[in-house]
Amino acid sequence: MSDELLALKDVKKYFGLRGVPWQKAQAVRAVDGVNLVVRKGETLGLVGESGSGKSTLARVATRLLDPTQGRVEIGGKDVTKVKGRRLRPIRRRIQMVFQDPQASLNPRQSVATILSTPFRAQGLRPTRAQLVELLEQVGLAEEHLVRYPHEFSGGQRQRIGIARALSVKPDLLVCDEPVSALDVSVQAQVLNLLADLRDELGLSYVLVAHDLAVVRQVADRIAVMYLGTIVEEGPAAQVYESPAHPYTKALLSAVPVPEPGVSRDRIVLTGDVPTPVNPPSGCPFRTRCYKAEDVCATKRPVLEPVEGSTEHRAACYFPELPTSERTQ
Amino acid sequence: MAEPVLEVHDLHVTFSTENGPVPAVDGIDFAVAPGQTLAIVGESGSGKSVSSSAVMGLLPSNADVTGEVLLDGRQLAGLPNDELRKIRGNDIAMVFQDALSALNPYYSVGWQVAEAYRLHHDVPKKVARRRAVEMLDKVGIPDAARRADSYPHEFSGGMRQRVVIAMALVNDPRVLIADEPTTALDVTVQAQIMRLLDDVQDEFGTALILISHDLGVVAEVADDVLVMYAGRAAERGTVRDLFFRAAHPYSLGLLGAMPRVDVPPKPRLTTIPGTPPGPGSITTGCPFQPRCAYTHLVGERCITERPELTPRPGEGDHEAACHLGRRPEVIL
Repeated sequence: MSDELLALKDVKKYFGLRGVPWQKAQAVRAVDGVNLVVRKGETLGLVGESGSGKSTLARVATRLLDPTQGRVEIGGKDVTKVKGRRLRPIRRRIQMVFQDPQASLNPRQSVATILSTPFRAQGLRPTRAQLVELLEQVGLAEEHLVRYPHEFSGGQRQRIGIARALSVKPDLLVCDEPVSALDVSVQAQVLNLLADLRDELGLSYVLVAHDLAVVRQVADRIAVMYLGTIVEEGPAAQVYESPAHPYTKALLSAVPVPEPGVSRDRIVLTGDVPTPVNPPSGCPFRTRCYKAEDVCATKRPVLEPVEGSTEHRAACYFPELPTSERTQ
Repeated sequence: MAEPVLEVHDLHVTFSTENGPVPAVDGIDFAVAPGQTLAIVGESGSGKSVSSSAVMGLLPSNADVTGEVLLDGRQLAGLPNDELRKIRGNDIAMVFQDALSALNPYYSVGWQVAEAYRLHHDVPKKVARRRAVEMLDKVGIPDAARRADSYPHEFSGGMRQRVVIAMALVNDPRVLIADEPTTALDVTVQAQIMRLLDDVQDEFGTALILISHDLGVVAEVADDVLVMYAGRAAERGTVRDLFFRAAHPYSLGLLGAMPRVDVPPKPRLTTIPGTPPGPGSITTGCPFQPRCAYTHLVGERCITERPELTPRPGEGDHEAACHLGRRPEVIL
């Protein structure tokens, strides 16, 4: 497809656990066979709980990590093996925004230096006007150029992180938990900013987040991860209105709703996420699933279209049936 | 409301620092009755955690605490430390956000829960251990008798938080203060812990003070809510007063800024401009005035005069501290 910005093909990322002499070295299967496509102009929400591999996947997609197996394609070109200097044109198309703006900004650099770094990495020299434009895009002003990260609040620092990512005019921003470190009132400001930038600049996003309400606010499409695999993906409205995978259903039902008296048919999962060192056989979710049967332990289910939809897919032997009329 | 077990009146906390005194809590009142849940809501720096630590007498020595903290009518503020120690962990217990740092990595969890019991009960170790296992079982640690010998690092985050709750509940406290107890946890585990706290309240009639920034959690478990801003009470009332009849622009702003998982998204979230003030930036007028969208409807008073809590329509003692006497209309 021509409008494919980013495609991940059967991507795996294993981290080696250093073996102790009397034990066999084991691997953490952080990402275990993921296929994913991001199209031009869309916002893909990548959700999952801690340890689901969503951040690792984001780092593989931005080529900050090399996949153990599989392919990363950008604009239809295989870039899995591209190294060093030749990565630059890729970095120009994909940029990343990190969770903790405190840790991802150098405290000894002024905002002007921080914002010029991506230009210099590309062998360019930004003009002052370019830097001011960047700041204005994210709601800051020229006077902020000479200041240092500690002089800003958390929300403003995140704006600087976003401005830095925008400096090389990327097509795709991969945002890893961009608002989870921020207060509620400030979080809303940053989410609105991301939406505005999308409309103004025609950006695409991959939004990695554990907060399902945040993702619903901005994403067009959702991919739900569990133990390194995608268990469900589809248009946001469909996934949120009628989740097909039992995990998605449980996850959504667990989110408290800010309205007293709203009764939720909550599915409280028992137990914890199993270790990615030794994931369960078959379906990774079967150990906590309320629908699991023998077949679930045999072979890992693959993503298959959910009844009545081509875009909405789930990896489950016993998917939930669509509950209500779909909002198209 | 039933007779409150814990009452706090006109609590002030000021830290003395190199840069002079920094007021963190500037006169707040709250009360909680047995079996009831009071949620204290606020953003970072609003003083919500400092207030609860002040109740527990857990603030560092540079904190100056004034006001009344009454447990069953008995004044706690200003009690000498050895008196307080008898109350802490016994009548009032606390659960913190980060369970890993609340547990000692050197001791088994069973030992730690038993120790919490032995601090307040003169019993042989064996008895305390039995009690510890019983509590671990109650908070849902599977195979508690065996797991009691495990160490904190062998537990997951959710299980650790269960251990901390077991430790807090081992002496049947009358009041449990939970400071962001589920913030560090995944949402499916959060649901487990909130259900556990609910069961505990049903069984023991514990009064719960829940400190949280998550309005979803608050809507679900709280009976009463206190909204704090810059060390002061912005609004208080029942949970329905706050969510359906919010009278303070800040409360309204917070509600509008929360994205929701259960309904299709709004085109834009309503936002509150600016950022929450840090501790110490207490002003003469309304602390929220610089960020308030309604201040033009009132004028000078917002800058010159500190608004006091005044009664608002609602179910009970609904009060808000805002010069705009009526319910603010939603501005988009």
